[in-house]
Amino acid sequence: MELYDRYAGLSYAVAMRVLGDPGRAEDVVQEAFLKIWTNAAGFDPKKGSLRTWLITAVRNRSIDYLRGRAAHERQELELQPELASTSTHSDPWHEVSLELERAAVREAVGSLPAEQRQAVQLAYFGGYSQSEIADMTHVPLSTVKGRMRLALEKLSSYLLGRGLVSV
Amino acid sequence: MSDHEELESSVAAWVLGALDPDEAATIRVHVEGCATCQQTAARLGRAAAALPLEVEEISPPARLRERVYVAAAAARASTVPSAPARKRVVPARRGWKPAASIPFGPLPALAAAATVVLALLIGLATGNVIGRNSVPPVPAQVSRYQLVGHGTLAGARGTVVNLKVEGVALVDFTGLPPLAKGKVYQLWLITPGGRPDSAAVFVPDSNGGKVVLVGLPLTGYSQMAVTAEDAPNGSPAPSQQPELSGNLG
Repeated sequence: MELYDRYAGLSYAVAMRVLGDPGRAEDVVQEAFLKIWTNAAGFDPKKGSLRTWLITAVRNRSIDYLRGRAAHERQELELQPELASTSTHSDPWHEVSLELERAAVREAVGSLPAEQRQAVQLAYFGGYSQSEIADMTHVPLSTVKGRMRLALEKLSSYLLGRGLVSV
Repeated sequence: MSDHEELESSVAAWVLGALDPDEAATIRVHVEGCATCQQTAARLGRAAAALPLEVEEISPPARLRERVYVAAAAARASTVPSAPARKRVVPARRGWKPAASIPFGPLPALAAAATVVLALLIGLATGNVIGRNSVPPVPAQVSRYQLVGHGTLAGARGTVVNLKVEGVALVDFTGLPPLAKGKVYQLWLITPGGRPDSAAVFVPDSNGGKVVLVGLPLTGYSQMAVTAEDAPNGSPAPSQQPELSGNLG
């Protein structure tokens, strides 16, 4: 249960951010930890950190709940933790404390222009597709694509500049 | 715009999980064969993976730790070949009804056994739980039901979390009053025909809470109920009308 004690707070917070429902958030966190434990033999640390795997599972399960989609239907929509950390320095988070990381991420996200921050947050925490975001925000699809790209490039540069991401 | 440029423009949305399935499949195929887009996806993916760190941590309810622990233990146990889960078929007592909508009465032993076998066969054949969730039924692996108390258990509640893949269920009880000396709570699974099968015996903690593992698939059962019975092993059949019960569907 060490893993649970370490990451339950973050996992639950992510599920709550997406779902806003304590009961469903509990279900999602439970499922995610079970998935980790039952698939522990298949975990390859070279492909990404355990935390990334866990939080990605929590986020994806939460979006599944939100959108009424069975997990197997979203195989192609999975975030790509293996791509997110392909280098041998795949888990930069071990190098600094969690609090420092979080402060840096908050600062980085906070420094984004509002429309770029909105685009990535609607996608990541809202589970909206880029087309849906274009409709919601009344801008062309190409604009949404550009905002997402710029936001992630800036985040990457910001975190890289603070030694938090190995690119 | 070339095909490559067109596809590359959606890589950010892809790593954010913001593409429809068909679009995502197209991008995935392209990225797998395009070194430039692989690098882009890796770089943007690392940034996307950092996004959850923006969220302020929230301490989950203490009971969740217990739920996760019990479920993990159950999942591990289910991977080890073992004897079939304990399932006690008990004779029903006339007049005991978990709910007005469910007729409950004595069944001949043979018919009861046949019902159990049929329920098990249905479960094996379909791999599904017969009941339907009372909340939106996704993801398919988990469904939840509520047990509601009345009478002396009016303040008690139970949340049933059915882990279909693992073939077990957890019941998260709250508000259970202390038991009289020499008594335990006994959890019953009830078939549509009204036959109760003992699922667990338990004693709540000092706060009236308890997470109980039901090591049986819920297939073939329509209700769950709780009674107070003699310690330590409970009763072969319910000795009273349940004051805490709910539908499994």
